[in-house]
Amino acid sequence: MSIHSGSHYAVDLQSVSASYGSTPVLDNLTLQVHKGERIVISGPNGSGKSTLLKLISGTMKPTDGTVDVLGLRLDNQLDRQRIRQQIGFLTQIQQDPEIAVSVCESVLLGLWGTRFSWGKRPAKADRDKAIDRLALVGLEELAHRDIRTLSGGQRQRVALARALIRDPALVLMDEPTTYLDSTAKEDLVNRIAELHRQLGFTSIIVSHEPLSALLSDRRIHLESGAVQEYREVQP
Amino acid sequence: MMETLVEAFSIPVIRHAFIGMTIAGATLSLLGVIVVSLHLTAIRFTLMHVGLLGAAAGLALGFSSTTGAFTLVLVASVVMGTMVNQKTVAASSISGLFMTGSLAGAFLLLAGTGVPAMQVFDIFAGNILMMTQTDVVFTASVGMVVVLVFVFAYREIQLVLLNRELAQVLGVPVDAIMTGMFVLLGLGIATALRLVGALLVDAIILLPAMAALRFARNFGMALVLSSLFGLTTTIGGFLVALFFDLPVGASAAMVATLLLGISMIIARISAH
Repeated sequence: MSIHSGSHYAVDLQSVSASYGSTPVLDNLTLQVHKGERIVISGPNGSGKSTLLKLISGTMKPTDGTVDVLGLRLDNQLDRQRIRQQIGFLTQIQQDPEIAVSVCESVLLGLWGTRFSWGKRPAKADRDKAIDRLALVGLEELAHRDIRTLSGGQRQRVALARALIRDPALVLMDEPTTYLDSTAKEDLVNRIAELHRQLGFTSIIVSHEPLSALLSDRRIHLESGAVQEYREVQP
Repeated sequence: MMETLVEAFSIPVIRHAFIGMTIAGATLSLLGVIVVSLHLTAIRFTLMHVGLLGAAAGLALGFSSTTGAFTLVLVASVVMGTMVNQKTVAASSISGLFMTGSLAGAFLLLAGTGVPAMQVFDIFAGNILMMTQTDVVFTASVGMVVVLVFVFAYREIQLVLLNRELAQVLGVPVDAIMTGMFVLLGLGIATALRLVGALLVDAIILLPAMAALRFARNFGMALVLSSLFGLTTTIGGFLVALFFDLPVGASAAMVATLLLGISMIIARISAH
């Protein structure tokens, strides 16, 4: 385990390459994200955007280079587990879910691997925290509803509450606004921006859609596995 | 009516069949929640066809048709689960591959080995009244495994069914759970095959869960309702068969169909 506790970077990728089998996806990518910074990564399908998130979340290993996240190098299982405990993850909306899960339970599941896991039940304090996080996204009144009965925008707000229940230092978002209508999209963007102001987490958002400047301090455009454009966003 | 029941249950075969059906209804129906949530209806249909090939192979090799079906369904569920996890081939393609291959294999075996086709097709109807005490113990064991898996991995299964990508980031062993669910499903289908036959497996596994998911507001409720509807299906079907001298499998399937139909009507009415 190598710890860089004094690091200013939430994420530090050095000369990283990644591939699926024999197909290269990222090639010699170097990227540093400051603590508290908001990055939006864009690029066409297959450009390596989602792969980048997999590398940072520790669900994929690079073929070359180093990945440091929150001061830990992701080269062994134990460190990957530690990092996961500090990462929140928001995926694109799950369309038409078939599983019956209450809104509160759905948020609570975001604590898996921290407060509870195999055979260990969540405590009342965990449920209270789930309700608290739902309040952050304005949905505490729907805590006992089945997620299947919510609109797409509401489901994505629940997912945001789930991403934040771990009190993450880093939040990774993979196409968070895809499939949402324009009103729900605007609402979600405003909420993420406001919660960033309140909680101060670092965020990395992958999106093929042009996202509001509210969500980014810096924009990166990936193409063919490499950074093509690197732009500071003016306030 | 009571006399008929007492008289019927004094016969060991009837008793075994009733206990077997009750256990299967209460436990195997839980698997339907997985089938519906993961859109695996095509794959469970494929496993039934694999059962036909297994029955033919079993008879050709000198075993019973149910032993052959059970073994091959279990093996196929492991292989299919692994293939689905690798994500190199779509689940629907895997399903098509196994279904067509199994049917072709079954008919070729029938033609090549001279196994009587009618014996093989018995697998479609099942034979609940041939259940021995050992079969009951076996069904109870499979049922217990299913329940224990849901109890032990309740939240992990929920996470995988809710969002596999998220589950993976949180550190849940998604591939192992997916393979485990396939194996469990194979085990459940293989067990149900012996009870009600391939054509009516849905009555125990799928239909109760479909009805339950119309009313459930959370995962726990979905499982409890699925189990209750499964019990209603098997006990109801058994009693109907007993009193009206009808086939057990078909009676259970009819009860399950009515249950689902009624649940759809109630859900529609309460939505307005």
